[in-house]
Amino acid sequence: MIDLDVPDAESMTALGERLAAVLRAGDLVLLGGDLGAGKTTLAQGVGAGLGVRGPVTSPTFVIARVHPSLVEGPPLVHVDAYRLGGWDELEDIDLEATLDEAVTLVEWGEGVAEGLAGDRLEIHIDRSHGGDGDPGEVRHVHVRAVGGRWDESALATAVRP
Amino acid sequence: MSDQPLILGIETSCDETGVGLVRGTTLLANAVASSVDEHVRFGGVVPEVASRAHLEAMVPTLHRALAEAGAGLGDVDAVAVTAGPGLAGALMVGVSAAKALAVALDKPLYGVNHLVGHVAAEQLENGPLAEPVVALLVSGGHTEILLVEDIATSATLLGQTLDDAAGEAFDKVARLIGLKYPGGPNIQRAAADGDPGAIRFPRGLTGQRDLERHRYDFSFSGLKTAVARWVETAEREGRAVPVGDVAAGFQEAVADVLTRKAVLACQERGISTMVLAGGVAANARLRELTRSRCAAAGIELRQPRFSLCTDNGAMIAALGAAVVERDLPPSSLDFASDSSLPVTQVLVG
Repeated sequence: MIDLDVPDAESMTALGERLAAVLRAGDLVLLGGDLGAGKTTLAQGVGAGLGVRGPVTSPTFVIARVHPSLVEGPPLVHVDAYRLGGWDELEDIDLEATLDEAVTLVEWGEGVAEGLAGDRLEIHIDRSHGGDGDPGEVRHVHVRAVGGRWDESALATAVRP
Repeated sequence: MSDQPLILGIETSCDETGVGLVRGTTLLANAVASSVDEHVRFGGVVPEVASRAHLEAMVPTLHRALAEAGAGLGDVDAVAVTAGPGLAGALMVGVSAAKALAVALDKPLYGVNHLVGHVAAEQLENGPLAEPVVALLVSGGHTEILLVEDIATSATLLGQTLDDAAGEAFDKVARLIGLKYPGGPNIQRAAADGDPGAIRFPRGLTGQRDLERHRYDFSFSGLKTAVARWVETAEREGRAVPVGDVAAGFQEAVADVLTRKAVLACQERGISTMVLAGGVAANARLRELTRSRCAAAGIELRQPRFSLCTDNGAMIAALGAAVVERDLPPSSLDFASDSSLPVTQVLVG
Protein backbone atom coordinates (compact mmCIF):
# COMPACT_ATOMS: atom_id res chain seq x y z
CA MET A 1 0.00 0.00 0.00
CA ILE A 2 1.31 3.44 -0.98
CA ASP A 3 0.04 6.35 1.11
CA LEU A 4 0.21 9.91 -0.14
CA ASP A 5 -0.91 13.25 1.27
CA VAL A 6 -2.31 15.47 -1.43
CA PRO A 7 -2.65 19.09 -0.30
CA ASP A 8 -4.96 20.57 -2.94
CA ALA A 9 -6.84 20.07 -6.20
CA GLU A 10 -3.87 21.02 -8.40
CA SER A 11 -1.74 18.38 -6.64
CA MET A 12 -4.52 15.83 -7.17
CA THR A 13 -4.51 16.57 -10.90
CA ALA A 14 -0.70 16.29 -10.91
CA LEU A 15 -0.94 12.90 -9.15
CA GLY A 16 -3.32 11.75 -11.88
CA GLU A 17 -0.82 12.82 -14.53
CA ARG A 18 1.97 10.86 -12.83
CA LEU A 19 -0.32 7.85 -12.55
CA ALA A 20 -1.05 8.05 -16.26
CA ALA A 21 2.64 7.52 -16.93
CA VAL A 22 2.44 3.99 -15.45
CA LEU A 23 -0.81 3.10 -17.24
CA ARG A 24 -1.17 1.39 -20.59
CA ALA A 25 -3.88 -0.26 -22.67
CA GLY A 26 -5.58 -3.05 -20.72
CA ASP A 27 -5.11 -1.47 -17.30
CA LEU A 28 -7.93 -1.15 -14.78
CA VAL A 29 -8.07 1.46 -12.02
CA LEU A 30 -10.74 1.41 -9.32
CA LEU A 31 -11.27 4.72 -7.61
CA GLY A 32 -13.10 5.09 -4.30
CA GLY A 33 -13.86 7.79 -1.75
CA ASP A 34 -16.81 9.81 -0.45
CA LEU A 35 -18.79 12.46 -2.32
CA GLY A 36 -16.46 15.38 -2.87
CA ALA A 37 -13.27 13.42 -2.16
CA GLY A 38 -11.69 14.37 -5.48
CA LYS A 39 -12.22 11.29 -7.65
CA THR A 40 -13.14 13.19 -10.79
CA THR A 41 -10.25 15.61 -10.19
CA LEU A 42 -7.84 12.67 -10.11
CA ALA A 43 -9.48 11.25 -13.25
CA GLN A 44 -9.00 14.61 -14.98
CA GLY A 45 -5.28 14.35 -14.25
CA VAL A 46 -5.15 10.83 -15.64
CA GLY A 47 -6.94 12.06 -18.78
CA ALA A 48 -4.48 14.93 -19.16
CA GLY A 49 -1.53 12.60 -18.64
CA LEU A 50 -2.81 10.11 -21.20
CA GLY A 51 -3.48 12.91 -23.67
CA VAL A 52 -7.13 12.10 -24.34
CA ARG A 53 -9.89 14.31 -25.72
CA GLY A 54 -11.66 16.14 -22.91
CA PRO A 55 -13.31 17.48 -21.03
CA VAL A 56 -13.17 14.68 -18.46
CA THR A 57 -16.26 15.45 -16.38
CA SER A 58 -18.33 13.49 -13.89
CA PRO A 59 -19.72 10.41 -15.65
CA THR A 60 -22.51 9.94 -13.11
CA PHE A 61 -25.21 10.82 -15.63
CA VAL A 62 -23.93 8.84 -18.62
CA ILE A 63 -22.41 6.01 -16.49
CA ALA A 64 -19.52 5.54 -18.94
CA ARG A 65 -17.75 7.88 -21.31
CA VAL A 66 -15.01 7.06 -23.83
CA HIS A 67 -12.26 9.66 -24.32
CA PRO A 68 -10.26 8.90 -27.47
CA SER A 69 -6.52 9.53 -27.43
CA LEU A 70 -5.12 12.63 -29.12
CA VAL A 71 -1.57 11.21 -29.07
CA GLU A 72 -2.10 7.74 -30.55
CA GLY A 73 -2.14 6.19 -27.10
CA PRO A 74 -4.91 4.21 -25.43
CA PRO A 75 -8.34 5.81 -24.92
CA LEU A 76 -9.63 6.46 -21.40
CA VAL A 77 -12.91 4.74 -20.52
CA HIS A 78 -14.22 6.72 -17.56
CA VAL A 79 -16.93 4.87 -15.65
CA ASP A 80 -19.10 5.78 -12.67
CA ALA A 81 -20.74 2.95 -10.74
CA TYR A 82 -22.50 5.40 -8.35
CA ARG A 83 -25.94 4.55 -9.71
CA LEU A 84 -25.38 0.93 -10.60
CA GLY A 85 -27.01 -1.71 -8.47
CA GLY A 86 -24.09 -4.13 -8.58
CA TRP A 87 -22.03 -6.40 -10.75
CA ASP A 88 -24.95 -7.45 -13.01
CA GLU A 89 -25.60 -3.88 -14.05
CA LEU A 90 -21.91 -3.21 -14.53
CA GLU A 91 -21.85 -6.21 -16.87
CA ASP A 92 -24.78 -4.67 -18.78
CA ILE A 93 -22.62 -1.77 -19.91
CA ASP A 94 -20.16 -4.22 -21.45
CA LEU A 95 -16.83 -2.80 -20.29
CA GLU A 96 -15.12 -6.04 -21.29
CA ALA A 97 -15.51 -4.96 -24.91
CA THR A 98 -13.03 -2.09 -24.46
CA LEU A 99 -10.99 -3.37 -21.51
CA ASP A 100 -8.07 -4.68 -23.56
CA GLU A 101 -7.41 -1.61 -25.68
CA ALA A 102 -8.25 1.13 -23.18
CA VAL A 103 -7.30 2.40 -19.75
CA THR A 104 -10.49 1.79 -17.74
CA LEU A 105 -11.05 3.93 -14.66
CA VAL A 106 -14.08 3.15 -12.51
CA GLU A 107 -15.28 5.67 -9.91
CA TRP A 108 -17.32 4.15 -7.06
CA GLY A 109 -15.93 0.83 -8.27
CA GLU A 110 -14.98 -0.59 -4.86
CA GLY A 111 -16.90 -3.75 -4.08
CA VAL A 112 -18.45 -3.77 -7.57
CA ALA A 113 -15.86 -3.80 -10.33
CA GLU A 114 -13.09 -6.05 -8.94
CA GLY A 115 -14.27 -8.89 -11.16
CA LEU A 116 -13.29 -7.01 -14.31
CA ALA A 117 -9.58 -7.87 -13.99
CA GLY A 118 -7.20 -9.76 -11.70
CA ASP A 119 -4.52 -7.09 -12.15
CA ARG A 120 -5.69 -3.67 -11.09
CA LEU A 121 -4.86 -0.52 -9.16
CA GLU A 122 -7.15 0.21 -6.25
CA ILE A 123 -7.08 3.84 -5.18
CA HIS A 124 -8.99 5.23 -2.25
CA ILE A 125 -9.20 8.92 -1.40
CA ASP A 126 -9.98 10.04 2.14
CA ARG A 127 -10.95 13.59 2.77
CA SER A 128 -9.58 14.71 6.12
CA HIS A 129 -12.55 15.20 8.34
CA GLY A 130 -10.98 18.11 10.00
CA GLY A 131 -10.30 19.08 13.52
CA ASP A 132 -9.24 22.39 14.96
CA GLY A 133 -7.42 24.56 12.49
CA ASP A 134 -7.68 21.99 9.70
CA PRO A 135 -8.24 23.79 6.42
CA GLY A 136 -9.79 20.57 5.14
CA GLU A 137 -8.18 20.59 1.73
CA VAL A 138 -5.75 17.72 2.39
CA ARG A 139 -6.61 14.34 0.90
CA HIS A 140 -5.05 11.05 1.93
CA VAL A 141 -4.64 8.83 -1.08
CA HIS A 142 -4.03 5.09 -0.76
CA VAL A 143 -2.79 3.21 -3.80
CA ARG A 144 -2.74 -0.57 -3.85
CA ALA A 145 -1.52 -2.75 -6.71
CA VAL A 146 -3.40 -6.05 -7.03
CA GLY A 147 -1.90 -8.84 -9.14
CA GLY A 148 1.52 -8.95 -10.76
CA ARG A 149 1.14 -6.11 -13.25
CA TRP A 150 2.82 -3.41 -11.12
CA ASP A 151 5.86 -3.61 -8.89
CA GLU A 152 4.84 -1.66 -5.80
CA SER A 153 8.19 -0.02 -5.09
CA ALA A 154 8.57 1.15 -8.68
CA LEU A 155 4.98 2.34 -8.57
CA ALA A 156 5.67 4.27 -5.37
CA THR A 157 8.62 6.04 -7.03
CA ALA A 158 6.50 6.88 -10.05
CA VAL A 159 3.54 8.37 -8.21
CA ARG A 160 5.37 10.36 -5.54
CA PRO A 161 5.90 14.01 -6.41
CA MET B 1 -51.51 26.61 -40.02
CA SER B 2 -52.71 23.35 -41.52
CA ASP B 3 -50.72 24.04 -44.68
CA GLN B 4 -47.51 23.57 -42.68
CA PRO B 5 -46.20 20.01 -42.62
CA LEU B 6 -47.07 17.79 -39.64
CA ILE B 7 -43.84 16.78 -37.87
CA LEU B 8 -43.64 13.83 -35.49
CA GLY B 9 -40.82 14.13 -32.93
CA ILE B 10 -39.34 11.30 -30.85
CA GLU B 11 -37.08 11.77 -27.81
CA THR B 12 -35.43 8.96 -25.79
CA SER B 13 -32.06 10.38 -24.74
CA CYS B 14 -32.46 9.73 -21.01
CA ASP B 15 -35.40 9.07 -18.67
CA GLU B 16 -38.34 10.24 -20.71
CA THR B 17 -39.99 8.56 -23.66
CA GLY B 18 -41.41 11.56 -25.50
CA VAL B 19 -43.52 11.77 -28.66
CA GLY B 20 -44.73 15.15 -29.91
CA LEU B 21 -46.58 16.53 -32.91
CA VAL B 22 -45.98 20.01 -34.24
CA ARG B 23 -46.88 22.16 -37.26
CA GLY B 24 -44.42 25.02 -37.67
CA THR B 25 -44.25 26.56 -34.20
CA THR B 26 -47.69 25.27 -33.18
CA LEU B 27 -47.81 22.55 -30.56
CA LEU B 28 -50.41 19.85 -31.26
CA ALA B 29 -49.38 17.06 -28.89
CA ASN B 30 -46.76 16.40 -26.22
CA ALA B 31 -47.01 12.89 -24.75
CA VAL B 32 -44.36 11.81 -22.26
CA ALA B 33 -43.87 8.57 -20.35
CA SER B 34 -41.26 8.72 -17.62
CA SER B 35 -39.28 5.85 -16.19
CA VAL B 36 -38.26 7.97 -13.21
CA ASP B 37 -40.27 5.85 -10.76
CA GLU B 38 -38.40 2.81 -11.89
CA HIS B 39 -35.14 4.69 -11.28
CA VAL B 40 -35.90 5.98 -7.82
CA ARG B 41 -34.54 2.85 -6.21
CA PHE B 42 -31.17 3.57 -7.79
CA GLY B 43 -31.23 7.30 -7.23
CA GLY B 44 -30.66 7.76 -10.91
CA VAL B 45 -30.69 6.41 -14.40
CA VAL B 46 -29.50 2.95 -15.25
CA PRO B 47 -28.95 2.56 -18.98
CA GLU B 48 -30.37 -0.90 -19.43
CA VAL B 49 -33.39 -0.13 -17.29
CA ALA B 50 -33.93 3.04 -19.32
CA SER B 51 -33.69 1.18 -22.65
CA ARG B 52 -36.22 -1.41 -21.55
CA ALA B 53 -38.59 1.24 -20.27
CA HIS B 54 -38.33 3.16 -23.57
CA LEU B 55 -39.07 0.01 -25.53
CA GLU B 56 -42.21 -0.68 -23.52
CA ALA B 57 -43.42 2.93 -23.56
CA MET B 58 -42.73 3.80 -27.20
CA VAL B 59 -45.89 2.52 -28.96
CA PRO B 60 -48.39 3.55 -26.23
CA THR B 61 -46.81 7.04 -26.09
CA LEU B 62 -47.02 7.35 -29.89
CA HIS B 63 -50.73 6.45 -29.78
CA ARG B 64 -51.36 8.96 -27.00
CA ALA B 65 -49.67 11.73 -28.99
CA LEU B 66 -51.69 10.95 -32.13
CA ALA B 67 -54.94 10.88 -30.15
CA GLU B 68 -54.06 14.19 -28.44
CA ALA B 69 -53.49 15.83 -31.85
CA GLY B 70 -56.52 14.15 -33.44
CA ALA B 71 -54.26 12.85 -36.18
CA GLY B 72 -53.46 9.50 -37.75
CA LEU B 73 -50.07 8.15 -38.73
CA GLY B 74 -51.03 8.76 -42.36
CA ASP B 75 -51.15 12.52 -41.67
CA VAL B 76 -47.48 12.68 -40.62
CA ASP B 77 -45.29 14.47 -43.18
CA ALA B 78 -41.86 13.93 -41.59
CA VAL B 79 -40.26 12.20 -38.60
CA ALA B 80 -37.65 13.84 -36.36
CA VAL B 81 -35.71 12.04 -33.63
CA THR B 82 -33.01 12.80 -31.07
CA ALA B 83 -29.74 11.51 -32.56
CA GLY B 84 -27.69 12.57 -29.48
CA PRO B 85 -26.23 13.42 -27.07
CA GLY B 86 -27.56 11.02 -24.45
CA LEU B 87 -27.37 7.47 -23.16
CA ALA B 88 -26.32 5.18 -26.01
CA GLY B 89 -28.80 2.36 -25.33
CA ALA B 90 -31.68 4.73 -24.73
CA LEU B 91 -31.02 6.78 -27.88
CA MET B 92 -30.98 3.63 -29.95
CA VAL B 93 -34.60 2.80 -29.06
CA GLY B 94 -35.90 6.16 -30.31
CA VAL B 95 -33.75 6.15 -33.42
CA SER B 96 -34.88 2.63 -34.33
CA ALA B 97 -38.53 3.55 -33.82
CA ALA B 98 -38.14 6.69 -35.94
CA LYS B 99 -36.44 4.79 -38.75
CA ALA B 100 -39.17 2.15 -38.75
CA LEU B 101 -41.88 4.84 -38.93
CA ALA B 102 -40.10 6.76 -41.68
CA VAL B 103 -39.71 3.63 -43.80
CA ALA B 104 -43.26 2.41 -43.17
CA LEU B 105 -44.78 5.83 -43.92
CA ASP B 106 -42.30 6.60 -46.71
CA LYS B 107 -41.58 10.01 -45.19
CA PRO B 108 -38.27 11.83 -44.61
CA LEU B 109 -36.32 11.26 -41.39
CA TYR B 110 -34.35 13.94 -39.50
CA GLY B 111 -31.88 13.00 -36.75
CA VAL B 112 -31.44 16.14 -34.65
CA ASN B 113 -29.50 17.46 -31.65
CA HIS B 114 -31.11 17.11 -28.23
CA LEU B 115 -29.56 20.31 -26.83
CA VAL B 116 -30.72 22.50 -29.71
CA GLY B 117 -34.13 20.82 -29.35
CA HIS B 118 -34.41 22.32 -25.86
CA VAL B 119 -34.00 25.77 -27.40
CA ALA B 120 -36.46 25.00 -30.23
CA ALA B 121 -39.09 24.09 -27.62
CA GLU B 122 -39.33 27.78 -26.74
CA GLN B 123 -40.75 28.50 -30.21
CA LEU B 124 -43.79 26.42 -29.26
CA GLU B 125 -44.42 28.69 -26.29
CA ASN B 126 -43.84 32.22 -27.56
CA GLY B 127 -43.45 31.88 -31.33
CA PRO B 128 -40.39 32.13 -33.58
CA LEU B 129 -37.10 33.13 -31.96
CA ALA B 130 -35.18 36.11 -33.29
CA GLU B 131 -31.70 34.59 -33.44
CA PRO B 132 -29.00 34.96 -32.34
CA VAL B 133 -29.95 33.92 -28.80
CA VAL B 134 -27.99 32.69 -25.80
CA ALA B 135 -29.43 29.56 -24.20
CA LEU B 136 -28.79 28.42 -20.63
CA LEU B 137 -29.45 24.68 -20.47
CA VAL B 138 -29.50 23.09 -17.04
CA SER B 139 -30.56 19.55 -16.23
CA GLY B 140 -29.37 16.37 -14.53
CA GLY B 141 -26.89 15.67 -17.28
CA HIS B 142 -26.31 19.08 -18.88
CA THR B 143 -25.07 22.48 -17.83
CA GLU B 144 -24.28 24.53 -20.89
CA ILE B 145 -24.34 28.03 -22.29
CA LEU B 146 -25.04 27.90 -26.01
CA LEU B 147 -24.94 30.58 -28.65
CA VAL B 148 -27.62 29.74 -31.21
CA GLU B 149 -27.05 31.73 -34.39
CA ASP B 150 -29.70 29.87 -36.35
CA ILE B 151 -31.92 27.26 -34.77
CA ALA B 152 -31.92 24.99 -37.84
CA THR B 153 -28.26 25.19 -38.80
CA SER B 154 -25.88 26.79 -36.36
CA ALA B 155 -25.15 26.54 -32.66
CA THR B 156 -21.91 26.82 -30.69
CA LEU B 157 -20.92 25.89 -27.17
CA LEU B 158 -19.79 28.91 -25.14
CA GLY B 159 -19.33 27.11 -21.85
CA GLN B 160 -20.14 23.97 -19.91
CA THR B 161 -19.54 22.28 -16.59
CA LEU B 162 -16.02 20.98 -16.02
CA ASP B 163 -17.19 18.38 -13.50
CA ASP B 164 -20.74 17.83 -12.20
CA ALA B 165 -23.91 18.95 -13.98
CA ALA B 166 -26.11 21.32 -11.96
CA GLY B 167 -28.90 18.75 -11.60
CA GLU B 168 -26.39 16.12 -10.52
CA ALA B 169 -25.11 18.53 -7.85
CA PHE B 170 -28.69 18.92 -6.58
CA ASP B 171 -29.05 15.12 -6.36
CA LYS B 172 -25.72 14.61 -4.58
CA VAL B 173 -26.14 17.48 -2.15
CA ALA B 174 -29.64 16.20 -1.36
CA ARG B 175 -28.04 12.92 -0.37
CA LEU B 176 -25.45 14.70 1.78
CA ILE B 177 -28.16 16.43 3.80
CA GLY B 178 -30.44 13.42 4.03
CA LEU B 179 -33.02 14.39 1.39
CA LYS B 180 -34.38 11.92 -1.14
CA TYR B 181 -34.00 11.61 -4.92
CA PRO B 182 -34.85 13.55 -7.04
CA GLY B 183 -32.78 16.26 -5.38
CA GLY B 184 -34.13 19.28 -7.27
CA PRO B 185 -37.67 19.49 -5.92
CA ASN B 186 -36.64 18.22 -2.47
CA ILE B 187 -33.92 20.85 -2.04
CA GLN B 188 -36.28 23.58 -3.26
CA ARG B 189 -38.86 22.48 -0.68
CA ALA B 190 -36.29 22.40 2.14
CA ALA B 191 -34.82 25.74 1.04
CA ALA B 192 -38.21 27.43 1.40
CA ASP B 193 -37.77 27.18 5.19
CA GLY B 194 -34.15 28.28 5.15
CA ASP B 195 -32.19 31.51 4.94
CA PRO B 196 -30.21 31.73 1.67
CA GLY B 197 -27.81 34.19 3.30
CA ALA B 198 -27.10 32.14 6.42
CA ILE B 199 -24.28 30.12 4.84
CA ARG B 200 -22.26 31.44 1.91
CA PHE B 201 -21.07 28.54 -0.21
CA PRO B 202 -18.39 29.05 -2.89
CA ARG B 203 -19.20 30.11 -6.46
CA GLY B 204 -17.06 27.93 -8.74
CA LEU B 205 -14.90 29.49 -11.48
CA THR B 206 -15.77 33.09 -10.63
CA GLY B 207 -12.33 34.23 -9.46
CA GLN B 208 -10.36 36.58 -11.69
CA ARG B 209 -7.93 33.92 -12.95
CA ASP B 210 -10.69 31.37 -13.52
CA LEU B 211 -12.73 33.94 -15.42
CA GLU B 212 -9.85 34.35 -17.85
CA ARG B 213 -9.54 30.67 -18.65
CA HIS B 214 -13.12 29.49 -18.03
CA ARG B 215 -15.19 32.57 -18.66
CA TYR B 216 -18.49 30.77 -19.33
CA ASP B 217 -17.67 27.40 -17.77
CA PHE B 218 -19.06 26.03 -14.53
CA SER B 219 -17.74 23.84 -11.72
CA PHE B 220 -19.97 22.38 -9.03
CA SER B 221 -17.70 19.77 -7.41
CA GLY B 222 -16.07 22.31 -5.08
CA LEU B 223 -19.52 23.45 -3.97
CA LYS B 224 -20.51 19.84 -3.30
CA THR B 225 -17.37 19.33 -1.20
CA ALA B 226 -18.01 22.58 0.68
CA VAL B 227 -21.49 21.37 1.63
CA ALA B 228 -20.09 18.01 2.74
CA ARG B 229 -17.51 19.74 4.92
CA TRP B 230 -20.03 22.11 6.43
CA VAL B 231 -22.33 19.23 7.37
CA GLU B 232 -19.45 17.18 8.82
CA THR B 233 -18.20 20.08 10.90
CA ALA B 234 -21.67 20.69 12.31
CA GLU B 235 -22.07 17.02 13.15
CA ARG B 236 -18.64 16.80 14.76
CA GLU B 237 -19.46 19.75 16.94
CA GLY B 238 -22.71 18.10 17.93
CA ARG B 239 -24.88 20.75 16.26
CA ALA B 240 -28.07 19.83 14.44
CA VAL B 241 -27.67 20.41 10.69
CA PRO B 242 -30.01 23.24 9.64
CA VAL B 243 -31.18 21.46 6.51
CA GLY B 244 -33.22 24.46 5.33
CA ASP B 245 -30.28 26.88 5.55
CA VAL B 246 -27.86 24.47 3.87
CA ALA B 247 -30.37 23.77 1.06
CA ALA B 248 -31.09 27.48 0.59
CA GLY B 249 -27.40 28.46 0.64
CA PHE B 250 -26.54 25.74 -1.87
CA GLN B 251 -29.44 26.63 -4.17
CA GLU B 252 -28.43 30.29 -4.03
CA ALA B 253 -24.84 29.47 -5.00
CA VAL B 254 -25.99 27.42 -8.02
CA ALA B 255 -28.55 29.98 -9.19
CA ASP B 256 -26.10 32.86 -8.70
CA VAL B 257 -23.27 31.43 -10.78
CA LEU B 258 -25.55 30.10 -13.55
CA THR B 259 -27.35 33.38 -14.05
CA ARG B 260 -24.28 35.55 -13.62
CA LYS B 261 -22.38 33.76 -16.39
CA ALA B 262 -25.35 33.50 -18.76
CA VAL B 263 -26.02 37.24 -18.46
CA LEU B 264 -22.30 37.93 -18.95
CA ALA B 265 -22.37 35.86 -22.16
CA CYS B 266 -25.33 37.88 -23.47
CA GLN B 267 -23.64 41.18 -22.67
CA GLU B 268 -20.25 40.30 -24.09
CA ARG B 269 -21.70 38.80 -27.26
CA GLY B 270 -24.19 41.59 -27.75
CA ILE B 271 -27.16 39.21 -27.52
CA SER B 272 -30.49 40.60 -26.38
CA THR B 273 -32.47 37.36 -25.89
CA MET B 274 -31.85 34.52 -23.44
CA VAL B 275 -33.62 31.15 -23.43
CA LEU B 276 -33.71 29.21 -20.15
CA ALA B 277 -34.40 25.48 -20.55
CA GLY B 278 -33.76 22.03 -19.12
CA GLY B 279 -35.26 20.31 -16.09
CA VAL B 280 -33.44 22.49 -13.53
CA ALA B 281 -35.23 25.51 -15.08
CA ALA B 282 -38.16 24.30 -12.97
CA ASN B 283 -36.30 25.58 -9.90
CA ALA B 284 -38.21 28.63 -8.68
CA ARG B 285 -35.15 30.47 -7.33
CA LEU B 286 -33.24 29.99 -10.59
CA ARG B 287 -36.21 31.31 -12.58
CA GLU B 288 -36.64 34.31 -10.30
CA LEU B 289 -32.95 35.26 -10.30
CA THR B 290 -32.68 34.83 -14.08
CA ARG B 291 -35.74 37.02 -14.56
CA SER B 292 -34.48 39.83 -12.35
CA ARG B 293 -30.93 39.82 -13.71
CA CYS B 294 -32.12 39.73 -17.33
CA ALA B 295 -34.51 42.58 -16.63
CA ALA B 296 -31.72 44.63 -15.02
CA ALA B 297 -29.47 44.01 -18.04
CA GLY B 298 -32.17 44.74 -20.63
CA ILE B 299 -32.21 41.15 -21.88
CA GLU B 300 -35.46 39.56 -22.99
CA LEU B 301 -35.86 36.25 -21.14
CA ARG B 302 -37.80 33.50 -22.83
CA GLN B 303 -38.67 30.23 -21.24
CA PRO B 304 -41.21 27.58 -22.06
CA ARG B 305 -43.65 26.02 -19.60
CA PHE B 306 -42.24 23.23 -17.44
CA SER B 307 -43.57 20.36 -19.60
CA LEU B 308 -41.55 21.80 -22.51
CA CYS B 309 -38.46 22.41 -20.32
CA THR B 310 -37.92 18.82 -19.33
CA ASP B 311 -37.10 16.23 -22.00
CA ASN B 312 -39.99 15.76 -24.43
CA GLY B 313 -40.81 14.80 -28.01
CA ALA B 314 -42.46 18.11 -28.94
CA MET B 315 -39.11 19.94 -28.72
CA ILE B 316 -37.64 17.47 -31.19
CA ALA B 317 -40.65 17.93 -33.49
CA ALA B 318 -40.18 21.71 -33.15
CA LEU B 319 -36.55 21.47 -34.22
CA GLY B 320 -37.58 19.07 -37.02
CA ALA B 321 -40.13 21.64 -38.20
CA ALA B 322 -37.44 24.36 -38.30
CA VAL B 323 -35.18 22.08 -40.34
CA VAL B 324 -37.98 21.10 -42.75
CA GLU B 325 -38.91 24.75 -43.23
CA ARG B 326 -35.36 25.34 -44.49
CA ASP B 327 -35.60 22.49 -46.99
CA LEU B 328 -32.47 20.91 -45.50
CA PRO B 329 -31.68 17.39 -46.76
CA PRO B 330 -33.05 14.59 -44.52
CA SER B 331 -30.73 12.26 -42.61
CA SER B 332 -29.84 8.99 -44.31
CA LEU B 333 -31.72 5.95 -43.06
CA ASP B 334 -28.52 4.35 -41.80
CA PHE B 335 -27.38 7.19 -39.52
CA ALA B 336 -26.26 6.06 -36.07
CA SER B 337 -27.11 7.73 -32.78
CA ASP B 338 -24.13 9.50 -31.21
CA SER B 339 -23.98 9.60 -27.41
CA SER B 340 -21.56 12.55 -27.49
CA LEU B 341 -22.99 14.43 -30.50
CA PRO B 342 -21.46 17.93 -30.42
CA VAL B 343 -23.88 20.85 -30.23
CA THR B 344 -22.46 22.26 -33.47
CA GLN B 345 -24.17 19.42 -35.30
CA VAL B 346 -27.82 20.43 -35.31
CA LEU B 347 -28.82 17.84 -37.93
CA VAL B 348 -26.99 14.58 -38.67
CA GLY B 349 -26.29 13.46 -42.24
